[in-house]
Amino acid sequence: MKRTLTQLAATVALGVALGASSLAQAKEFLLGSELPLTGNLARVGQGMHEGIAVAIEMANRAYAGKHSFKVSTIDDETNPAKAVAAVERLIGDGAVALTGGYGSNIIGPASEAAQKAGVVYITSGGVTPELTARGYPTFFRINNSEGYAKAMIGLLEDMGVKKVSVVYLNKDATTNLAKQVQSALSAKGVTVGMHEFDAATSDFKPLLNKVKLQDRSEAIAMVGYENDYVGILRAAKVLKPQVKAVVGVWSLATAQMAKEFPDLMENVYGTSMLPYPVEFTQPEALEFAAEYKKLFNKEPDYLGQFGYVQTRLLIDAIVRAEEAGTLAKGGLADELRRTDAQTLIGRVTFDAKGDNTNFSHRMGQHQTGKVVLVWPKDAANGAMRFPGVPW
Amino acid sequence: MKAVVLIAVLALAYVGVPLVFGGNAYILGLIVAALTIAGVSVAWALLGNLGGMVSFGHAAFFGVGSYVSAVLAMKLGVPVFAAMVLGGVGAAVASVATMPALRLKGPYFALAMLAYAHIFQILATEMTPVTGGAGGLLSIPRFPTVMGVEFGEKTGGYLIVLTIVVLAALAYDAIRRSAWGLALKAMHDTEQATRVVGVPSTHLKAAMLVLSAFITGVVGAFNAHFISFLQPDYAFASTWTVLPIAAAIFGGYRTVWGPVVGSLAIYLLDQLVFKELMPHGHQLVLGALLCVMILFSPGGLMPLLVRRRRRKKEGVQAHAHA
Repeated sequence: MKRTLTQLAATVALGVALGASSLAQAKEFLLGSELPLTGNLARVGQGMHEGIAVAIEMANRAYAGKHSFKVSTIDDETNPAKAVAAVERLIGDGAVALTGGYGSNIIGPASEAAQKAGVVYITSGGVTPELTARGYPTFFRINNSEGYAKAMIGLLEDMGVKKVSVVYLNKDATTNLAKQVQSALSAKGVTVGMHEFDAATSDFKPLLNKVKLQDRSEAIAMVGYENDYVGILRAAKVLKPQVKAVVGVWSLATAQMAKEFPDLMENVYGTSMLPYPVEFTQPEALEFAAEYKKLFNKEPDYLGQFGYVQTRLLIDAIVRAEEAGTLAKGGLADELRRTDAQTLIGRVTFDAKGDNTNFSHRMGQHQTGKVVLVWPKDAANGAMRFPGVPW
Repeated sequence: MKAVVLIAVLALAYVGVPLVFGGNAYILGLIVAALTIAGVSVAWALLGNLGGMVSFGHAAFFGVGSYVSAVLAMKLGVPVFAAMVLGGVGAAVASVATMPALRLKGPYFALAMLAYAHIFQILATEMTPVTGGAGGLLSIPRFPTVMGVEFGEKTGGYLIVLTIVVLAALAYDAIRRSAWGLALKAMHDTEQATRVVGVPSTHLKAAMLVLSAFITGVVGAFNAHFISFLQPDYAFASTWTVLPIAAAIFGGYRTVWGPVVGSLAIYLLDQLVFKELMPHGHQLVLGALLCVMILFSPGGLMPLLVRRRRRKKEGVQAHAHA
C-alpha cells in the first residue's frame, strides 16, 4: 500500500512537473503594429492591418497549445512624429517586434526609433532604397522598388512599345521607381518622356496634353497613389491620348478600385500579387483567403497579402528564436536573416541590410470587373488585352 | 505669473518631469511634441498679441528653420546646436521676404502669410540638390552628447525644447513689459493714433515678425534634429500653423503662458485621453472641446484659471472680513 502511494505521489509529482514545464514554455507574444489608419494613407494602412490580423489568427491556430500571439495596433495618423510615438509606446508595452508602417517617409523615422530600442521592425509599406541603405540590423522588408520596377518594365517590354510616357509623383519612393523604369527602358532603346507632378496636383489635363501632343507615346506608365491614378485616368478619358495601354503600380489593380471606379479601370494594368476574384491552389493560400473572408467578409487583396506575409515570417522567426533561447538576447534579427521561405508573394530571404532581393511583383489587368494576372507568364491566369484603354 | 510660482513650475518642469517620465519614452515623446507646438504657439501669439497680426503661415518659418538647420548640419557639418540657432536666423531672414504683407490687415495679412508658406514649400520641393526635393532628408544628425548629457535622447530633447519654450515666453514677457510692448499694445487698439504720436508702427510690426519667425525657426530646427527626418509636406504642413493657433486660443493668446498651457493641454488630452477612448476620429472630441472653450471663455484657459483663483481669494478675504 505504502509502495503504491509512493508510486502515485511520484507520478503526480512528475505530471505536475511536466505540466509546469510545458506551461513555462507556452508563451503569449505581443506584436506591435504602427499603421496609418486615418489620414492620407488610411486605405492602404487598413489593407495591411487586415493582413496582419489574418496572420495572427492563422499563427494562433498553427501554434495552438504551444504559443499564442496578439497584436497591439496604434494609428500613426499618417504622421511621422506620431509614428515614432506609436513605436515607442508599443515597445514600452512589451511588444517583441513591430510589423506595419506605410509610406517611406513615415517608416523612416519609425524604424529608426525601433532601431534605437533594438527592436525588429518589418514592413512592406516602404520601397525606397534609402530605407535599407541605412543598414539597420533590425530593419526588414519583404518588397522593394526593384521588384515593382521589374514588373512594370517586363510588362512594357512584352508589349513591345517603343515610346512610353512616365507620369510620376515627386515623392522619394515614386521618383526612384520612375527613374528605374526610365533608365531600364532607355537602355533597351525605348523613348521615355518623364512627367513629374506633386501631391497637390488635382488637374492632370495639362500633363496629359503633353503626353498626347508632345510625346505621342504608345503607353502611359503611372507611378503614384490611388488619388493620382484616378486624376490621371479622368484626365485621360477626357483627352483620349492615342496610347495602347495605361500601366500603373501599387494600389491600382485592386478589387476596391474595380468596385469604386469601374468606368476608369477597364483594361488598366497595375502591380498585383493576386487575381480578383482570388484563385488560390496552395493550402496556406487557401487558408489565408478563407480566414480573410471570415474576418472581413471580403476577398483578400495584395495589401492584405503583404501584411500577412511579413507578419507570418516574423512570427515564425519569433518561435525559432524562442526555441533557440535567443529571443530575449536580440536573436530575432539573426533568425529573420536566416529566413528562406516560400510565401504567398514568392521566395523570401533577407540580405545583410534586411532587403528581400528575390522580390518581383506581378502585373494584373482590370478586365470587366475582375483583375486578371497577365505578367509574368508563369503566374498569369489570363491573357492581356492589348491594345486596351479605359475609353 | 508670480516669480515664486514661475520658479516652482520651472523647477518641476526641469527636474520633476524627467524624474517621473524619464523611463517612459512614449509619454516624454508626447510632452516633447506638445512643447514643440507650444514653441510655435508662443511665437504666433507674440505676433498676434503684440503685433496685432494674425498669421496663417507660421508653417513657412517652421519649415525654413527646419531645412536651414538640417542642411547646414548634414551637408556643411555645422554643429547641431549652432545649426539650430542658424535655422532660426534663416527663418528670420525668410520673414523679410514676407514683409510686404505687413501693408495688409486682418484676413488679408493672414491669407498672404498662408500663400508665403506655400511658396516656401514649393521652393523646398524644387531645390532638390540641397533639400532632397519631395523625398526629403532622412537621418538628419541628432543632438550630440555634451558633458555626459545625451541631448539626442528623449530626456535631452525634452530639456532642449523646454529651454526654447521658456526663453521664448520670457522674451515675450520682457517685450510686453517694455516701452516697446506698451507702444505695440496701444498700436493694437488704434494704429493711426499711435502713429500720430510718433510710434514707428511699421518698424515695430516688422521687428515682431522677425522675432516670431526666429522663434518658430528654432523650434522647427529642433524638431528636424529630434525627429531626424524632413520632407516639404511635413515641414510646411498646415498642422504647424493650425494646431499652435488652436492651442494659443485654447490657453489664452493674450497671456504669456496661455499658449504653453494650451499646447500641453490640447495635445496631451488628445493623445493620452481622447485617442485612448476613440482610436479613430478622436480629433472630433478635441474640436468640440475647443468650441466649448471659445464659447464659455473666449479669453482661453489661463484667464479662466486666473479669474477662478481671484474669485476664490476674494471669497476668502470677504469671509475673513465678515
